[in-house]
Amino acid sequence: MSRVIGLITSTCPAGEMMELTAGRPVGTIPFGGRYRLLDFPLSNMVNSGLRTVGIVTPLRYRSVLDHLRAGKEWRLDRKRGGLFILPGYGQEEKGSRFSLKDLTLNADFFIKDQAEHVIMSCSNLVININFAEIIEFHLTARADVTLIYQVSPDVNQKGEAALFLQVDEDNRISNITAGPEPEHKLFLDMLVIKKRFLWELLQYRQSAPEVDLLDLVRERLSGAQVFGFPFTGYVGRVYSVKSYFQCSMDLLQPNIRQELFMGSNRIHTKIADNPPTRYGTKAQVINSLVASGCKIEGRVENSIIFRNVYVSPGAEIKNSILMQKSWIGKNAYLENTILDKFVRIRDRQRLKGSEDSPVVIAKAAAPGLMGGELA
Amino acid sequence: MPKKEIIAMLLAGGQGSRLGALTKKIAKPAVSFGGKYRIIDFSLSNCVNSEIDTVGVLTQYKPLLLNSYIGIGTAWDLDSAFGGVHILPPFVREDGGTWYKGTANAVYQNIDFINYYDPDYVLIISGDHIYQMDYRLMLDFHKKNNADLTISVIEVPWHEASRFGIMTCAADGRIVKFSEKPPKPDSNLASMGIYIFNWPVLRQALVEDELNPSSEHDFGKNVIPMLLNQGKSLYAYRFQGYWKDVGTVESYYEANMELLREQPELDLFDGPRVFSNSDVLAPHYLGSQAKVVNSLVSNGCIIYGEVVNSILAPGVFVGEKAVIHDSIILPNAAVGKETRLFRAIVMEGVQVVPGCLVKPDLPGKIALIHDSFSPQAAAYHEALA
Repeated sequence: MSRVIGLITSTCPAGEMMELTAGRPVGTIPFGGRYRLLDFPLSNMVNSGLRTVGIVTPLRYRSVLDHLRAGKEWRLDRKRGGLFILPGYGQEEKGSRFSLKDLTLNADFFIKDQAEHVIMSCSNLVININFAEIIEFHLTARADVTLIYQVSPDVNQKGEAALFLQVDEDNRISNITAGPEPEHKLFLDMLVIKKRFLWELLQYRQSAPEVDLLDLVRERLSGAQVFGFPFTGYVGRVYSVKSYFQCSMDLLQPNIRQELFMGSNRIHTKIADNPPTRYGTKAQVINSLVASGCKIEGRVENSIIFRNVYVSPGAEIKNSILMQKSWIGKNAYLENTILDKFVRIRDRQRLKGSEDSPVVIAKAAAPGLMGGELA
Repeated sequence: MPKKEIIAMLLAGGQGSRLGALTKKIAKPAVSFGGKYRIIDFSLSNCVNSEIDTVGVLTQYKPLLLNSYIGIGTAWDLDSAFGGVHILPPFVREDGGTWYKGTANAVYQNIDFINYYDPDYVLIISGDHIYQMDYRLMLDFHKKNNADLTISVIEVPWHEASRFGIMTCAADGRIVKFSEKPPKPDSNLASMGIYIFNWPVLRQALVEDELNPSSEHDFGKNVIPMLLNQGKSLYAYRFQGYWKDVGTVESYYEANMELLREQPELDLFDGPRVFSNSDVLAPHYLGSQAKVVNSLVSNGCIIYGEVVNSILAPGVFVGEKAVIHDSIILPNAAVGKETRLFRAIVMEGVQVVPGCLVKPDLPGKIALIHDSFSPQAAAYHEALA
């Protein structure tokens, strides 16, 4: 598909997510046992036929480069087009989707390519979507911008900094609002935009770089051809620790897992070459998603276990998310917790959060040096 | 023209006929092992971990899956511009062509390939052994002894020695005698079929062997004895570690089951990484009634039933109330609801229908399920001699 290129931004409309984004941008938050949030928009674009994708990275981009490298796993390590790591202004941009500052900085990326249209996406949506149909609609309608929205928004999914669209019968967008109005649809932070129109917008507001692209689109609603396109599948919006937790637990439902990972369009990610996971003689694991290279000798329930995690005998893990290489000691107890990578939980240690407010342990921490139970 | 110090020729052409149904449709090196691996992963990973970046893979028997599995070698970092992995099937010349007539003939037919890289040394390995080895140590040994040929050997139990090609050595490792399957072995050092040759020595030996009409063109049976008789300098490199030639269904089953021991001799979690060309699948899922104990489970599995002391390859489905004990389920197979399997190997892609019982008909045997079938709640089994 030479007429369309992709752009993924690493900023999140809701800004920081506390511990989860300490030291990494939203796009590289580990998700689903072996993925990072970035894998979703990137795979969606590649699966839709795009072969040129730019990723705007914030200042702390080490994890982005480490994960993507040359883009081979996403078929973007190529001569024609490929993966472009683009500079960005960083996580100072709280609450931005497609900041004009970042877009202007990377004008060359748009100019140099022959493509006539750009698909833009944020990197905090867990979704498996094929853009082919949307691009066709966009071309047929001769749209300047096509905004993708969710058909039946779940009240809980709205969250911070969500935008809502008023969609007319002919799918035109007549209003974009910050608060949920009745009948308004949730904007899914993904759009298709005609390059020429994008260029026009960038020229027009070059002097006000704090502005977001959506602000400009809103200003031009009456004059330009702005349409909406509905998406009816599963959408996991990650904008807070709680929503991250909820979206993770959604993966324990077979239909959601089926839609995200087992359809004809797969989510690609970096390959780890780990051995298969080893369940010990005392392992008791139910209703959980478990990645490769783990050694499980304890009890695990309703949890997401990432790669190379070790669960000692007697340990009990409930409703928790354990990221790569975390280590759980004997007879420890974890409930409603999120452990970042390399966390070490000592023998008999107990950590319990609540469903609304899971306990998050930062990367490489060995919590409890200050004392036992965190309620 | 740049040259290589050493290149590897990996023999992957055999059928492995004693593996029965396991190799009916694919070559032995392509057979799944240890859950997510294929047997050839071990040799290829050894090469890359030993910094050998040029590997010729000699294929012949049903190479389709093997070829597409290897691809251009990306999974093992063997996709380089100069070097990398090359699939070498038999080919035709001006004067016609023949299938590979033996291990030595296969290498003989590819002399031009080796000449292209002009190496000092050629490593000959097989694609159907399971082991982890740093070939650089063997090369150091070869150089230190100024050998023409170094053969890697491993100590085998004395009562098994008569099954192997046995090397009798002097104290310094120099080989003085070679006996193929001797009824009364005087040494228990068995050849592993891993050789490092000086290229000129190998080339000459191949040409001479090719001209010998009574030769079977096999390294072990013909080339090695010939070189020994010619007084060439042959040394035995003693390898210490796990090494398995899974030649029969029984040994294949045992080697897999050994991975489930408390302290397996081949520890996939420790040591140099074994690379493989796996599909990117989601992490595996265990349902609310699942019971998985003492087992290895790969990516993409969905388990609703009971799995004990078993190995599940990628993409395996286990239905509700199914019971799987002491079994090996190969990639993308499915075990239906309430089906019970004991000491079974379910081959790739096989759909075992719900509600049946599968076990070997005699103790000590293994039930090998190689076709999708549909008996209704009847005991179905196929035992192997």
